[in-house]
Amino acid sequence: MKLLKKRPTFNWNLFLILLLAAEFLIFGSANPKFLRPALLLNSVNDFLSICIISLFVTFVMITGGIDIQVASIVGLTSITIGVAWQDFGLSIWGAVLLAILVAALCGALSGFFIAYCGVQAMVVTLGGSFLYTGLALLVSTLSSTEAYQGISGFPDSFKRITQYKLFGVIPFQIVIFLILFVFAYLLLHKTKYGRKVFLVGVNQQAAEYSGINSRLVIMSTYVLSAISAAIAGIILTSYLGTAKSDLGSGLTMNIITAVVLGGTLSTGGKGNILGTALAALSIGILRFGMPLCFKVNTQYLDIPIGVLLIVVVVGRSLAGNPAVIAKFARLRGRSKKEAPANP
Amino acid sequence: MNETAGRETPLLSIHNVYKSFGLNAVLKGINLDVMPGEVLALIGGNGAGKSTLMKIVMGIYTHDSGELMIQGEAVSMSRPSVALAKGIYMVPQEPLLFPNMNVEENILIGFSKSKSELHQELLDTMKEIGWNLDLTRKASSLSIAEQQLVEILRGILRHSRLLILDEPTSALTFDEVRSLFDCVNGLRAKGIGIIYITHRLSEVFDIATHVAIMRDGIITIQGPVSGFTREDLVKGLLPPNVEQVSQACASADNVVDYTKQPVLELQDFSGYGFSNINLKVYAGEILGVAGVVGAGRTEMVTTIFGRDKVLGGKALLCGKDITGQKTRQVIQAGLNYVPEDRHLNGLFKICDVAANTTSANLFSASMGHLFLNRQEEFKTTQQYVESFRTKVTGHDQLAGSLSGGNQQKIVIGRSLSTKPRIVILDEPTRGIDAAARGDVYSIIHQLRDEGVSILLISSDMEEIVELADRAVTMYQGRINAEFQRCEINQDHLMAAAFGIPAQEAVNE
Amino acid sequence: MSTVKKIFKVREMSSFLFLVGLFLLVGLINPKFLTGSNISACFNTSVVYTLVAVGMAFTIFIGEIDVSVGSNLGFVATVVGSLLRDGANWGFAFAMGLIIGLIIGLVNGWGVAIMKVPSLIFTLGTNGVLRGMMYIYAGGAWVENLPKSFKDFSSVTLIGNFTVYYCCAVLAVVIIHFLLTRTRRGQYFIAVGDNEGGAQLVGIPAVRTKVLAYVICGVLSAVAGIIFCSRIGFVTSTSGSGYEMKAVAACVLGGISLTGGVGTVIGAGIGAVIMASISYLLVFMGFSSNYDNAITGIILITIVVVDALMQRRAAVNNRHARLAARTMTADAAKKEAAAQ
Repeated sequence: MKLLKKRPTFNWNLFLILLLAAEFLIFGSANPKFLRPALLLNSVNDFLSICIISLFVTFVMITGGIDIQVASIVGLTSITIGVAWQDFGLSIWGAVLLAILVAALCGALSGFFIAYCGVQAMVVTLGGSFLYTGLALLVSTLSSTEAYQGISGFPDSFKRITQYKLFGVIPFQIVIFLILFVFAYLLLHKTKYGRKVFLVGVNQQAAEYSGINSRLVIMSTYVLSAISAAIAGIILTSYLGTAKSDLGSGLTMNIITAVVLGGTLSTGGKGNILGTALAALSIGILRFGMPLCFKVNTQYLDIPIGVLLIVVVVGRSLAGNPAVIAKFARLRGRSKKEAPANP
Repeated sequence: MNETAGRETPLLSIHNVYKSFGLNAVLKGINLDVMPGEVLALIGGNGAGKSTLMKIVMGIYTHDSGELMIQGEAVSMSRPSVALAKGIYMVPQEPLLFPNMNVEENILIGFSKSKSELHQELLDTMKEIGWNLDLTRKASSLSIAEQQLVEILRGILRHSRLLILDEPTSALTFDEVRSLFDCVNGLRAKGIGIIYITHRLSEVFDIATHVAIMRDGIITIQGPVSGFTREDLVKGLLPPNVEQVSQACASADNVVDYTKQPVLELQDFSGYGFSNINLKVYAGEILGVAGVVGAGRTEMVTTIFGRDKVLGGKALLCGKDITGQKTRQVIQAGLNYVPEDRHLNGLFKICDVAANTTSANLFSASMGHLFLNRQEEFKTTQQYVESFRTKVTGHDQLAGSLSGGNQQKIVIGRSLSTKPRIVILDEPTRGIDAAARGDVYSIIHQLRDEGVSILLISSDMEEIVELADRAVTMYQGRINAEFQRCEINQDHLMAAAFGIPAQEAVNE
Repeated sequence: MSTVKKIFKVREMSSFLFLVGLFLLVGLINPKFLTGSNISACFNTSVVYTLVAVGMAFTIFIGEIDVSVGSNLGFVATVVGSLLRDGANWGFAFAMGLIIGLIIGLVNGWGVAIMKVPSLIFTLGTNGVLRGMMYIYAGGAWVENLPKSFKDFSSVTLIGNFTVYYCCAVLAVVIIHFLLTRTRRGQYFIAVGDNEGGAQLVGIPAVRTKVLAYVICGVLSAVAGIIFCSRIGFVTSTSGSGYEMKAVAACVLGGISLTGGVGTVIGAGIGAVIMASISYLLVFMGFSSNYDNAITGIILITIVVVDALMQRRAAVNNRHARLAARTMTADAAKKEAAAQ
């Protein structure tokens, strides 16, 4: 399929910004409370996990894989912090470090099976989601606290991560998110590593022939997404004040939708951090705005997000269809270079 | 137009067929007839439109205007099942079997008759042609030649009246080619018409009764084979005003110093598909490696490049042992490789020209330490775009939208960006047009003049004759002949490539 | 004798042996397990999984996937359950359920086969939509108070301790297997997954086959939803969630390759029994239900990794054998020449 230059990415990000703007417009006019800075900024907490994790799942999907175990790693991280601190006496920050390490190991394990054993990403991370959810549950049994209660009573220094407000109004988590955003952006779009991620995703064989260790690159993306899940877990635990083993449930579809909506091709090779961030924000704002302004129950939110996903991918598929492009070209009368699908 | 008007109805008649994809016109008025018992050789370069035409005949594409007639009656080929019902079957260049089914299931799938009837018919057919295939083997375990046989059996069992063979000999050994030719002759005798697509002019004179040459969507010459010479055919392939690149031998003042240490040396080198290779390439030398597909040339070089396991022997680069090293180490040591299949292993189609050019050099410090040095990337890309005269609209053009020749230039550029002492080119001019081919030859000469050694793998004997300082041929995984410059000619190469020892060839 | 050998070589046999081994292992640890009612209970509880797994198997055969089966099941269960609770005619309620499954299958088939959207993504989308619709239809409440006779039917046994439901499911699986392997149209599914381009070249209608696979999957998931209602007796707002995971696991356990073109529905059926029995078996082994997920995950990952490694080794060996054959002939020729 012949594509034109890099313009489509830029256009897509523009579309996402317009989408965000439209959301603000619609929700803002439906209910002015929506636009109140304090409320808005606080609402971010609900979907910050989606934003953070989707940044790094982008890396995974660019290599052509998928990661549906991130949600369970969030819970595993949370409960690890809780149990390590409360029942094993580690300092809170030691527990945090341990949790990140555990998450990285989980990511590395799955990444190893995917990259070095050639198992499909979907299945491995599917098994991983079972495994890590189960592990989280088992870890919670190690604690004296009942699983459904969750571990609480964390020290202030820990809770401060999410309580501190920059300039008195911006929750610190947003700062963390911005830092991660910049980090992910630089890593993917400016470093040699990021270039390798793209190359491996576009054509793994050609990457190998270019001397790139494609398997290591692929495995590393899963470690990245696992660590991002850990960070999200840390933030959630700090914000809620409790460590629970099922903290991340239900996030998976939102994350995948955010990445796909952000312009990442599920077949790999294409994606950009800005798009993912904008898409994640759009989804998050949608999740906040709908209940607030239209009294939509949060449980119903899966529908518009599911519909959004379908519309985006079908639309993209149509846009890439040579027949459709030719029709548009004829309509516009402009001469575009086209080529047969299989010369 | 065809001269045999009226006597017999053509099996297939193509009238004024046009086909465009979007705004790109691929077929511009094709007129072609195939008679029963005729073997029509269809020749044409990449992009000439042969594949498209055949896909239209097979019902995979539909033409924009014109007519298709089977045995005199107009047919609308809306999908493959229509073509199959009309008695047309295409054996694709890459056999499209079902890897997890066995041979019999592969042949008989899609038929509505009873399995036992078909089984018997299959056995009878195989006996008649004299082929012996184990029907219970899984398709994934068959060699390419065997897979092709299965495809042909499919066509025969469907009582096809018109068989299209797309480059059937590209993966066959000498014996297999001979038995294929016998089969084709047998089918001819039965009145079956055959369209035989090939790049090999010699085959045209061996097996075809008629020939048609396509270039740029039109047929330039067609008619009985007896009416043409090789030169006529070559003329039909080239665009009318192509600059006759000097075909003279490499200039006599390029003297390779054979006393110095060889840049690349293989000692008793063995791996999967080749064994006991002893080879030396010297500085500033172009060593041609000829042979038929399957001789083990690509396997040998990809093993050197770190893509497969070494089973024995050594590979030395400027005296340094690189046996069994990983690809990146081999590249850093000073050897690079332009893959045979640029679509599969060479190109990042949805990445831009710059990313494609620099992909092999990412580990180098010049490209930056952590952050990618964009200026260096620009410099490198520009350098090769200019010196190779690659036609791009900009560094950000996607590689997938370039023509075959320009794509090849990008891949060659990438292999040079790591400043290698020796570059291995594997079928560098396959699938590119004549003008680009000339450019690639200039690049090769340029490299040689700069002192870079070149290992040139090619199935195009003419190419080796033109470029190589020395040539070796590989046959069934071993080197079976070596030729100095004055001994390199097509007959020697062809004979050796097909395993005929040099003495025999001379004695004829 | 060779037929028996052949049967043992079949991949499904190793799944079956795994199941038997599992039972024996549990029996070793806790002999109380080895009773007729316990073993048949393992099979009976797997009826819903079996239907969903077989349905999903169709989509995996063609080289795709359908992750909306769980919410398909849940949505149909919600609708049918509500209709039955409100006194509707049973036939009408069942028909509605089946029609819903059919429509879902058509939508999925359209998206994947005609719009050419990657199946994982598209069915992820329909999954979300269905889940939301499920919530809307029931107003967020659970569906309870289903007709007693409907619920009781789930425990009616047919052969020995095996329920009517399970016996019918087994029959269905056998019939489907026969249709897939012996009829001309049936072979199309595997062919399309094995090599789509090649299938088209031999005249197989690939698009139609793909759509049909999704429709069958949708309908079977709907049937599973109806049976779910009957067996469980009530429908929550999240019923069915996670079933797609179990179905994939069942298929993989049963020897179905996720890349398509390989496997049988019988394997899916055996895998379903394994998946359903795990939590049941774990109880007998003394593990609390907390271990369910972890153990399921470990089993799934182990099986998949072993499968992939074996396939990869076979492919590599194949390739090496082919390449080595090329150099062999030269050796043989040399030997002949030397011998003369």
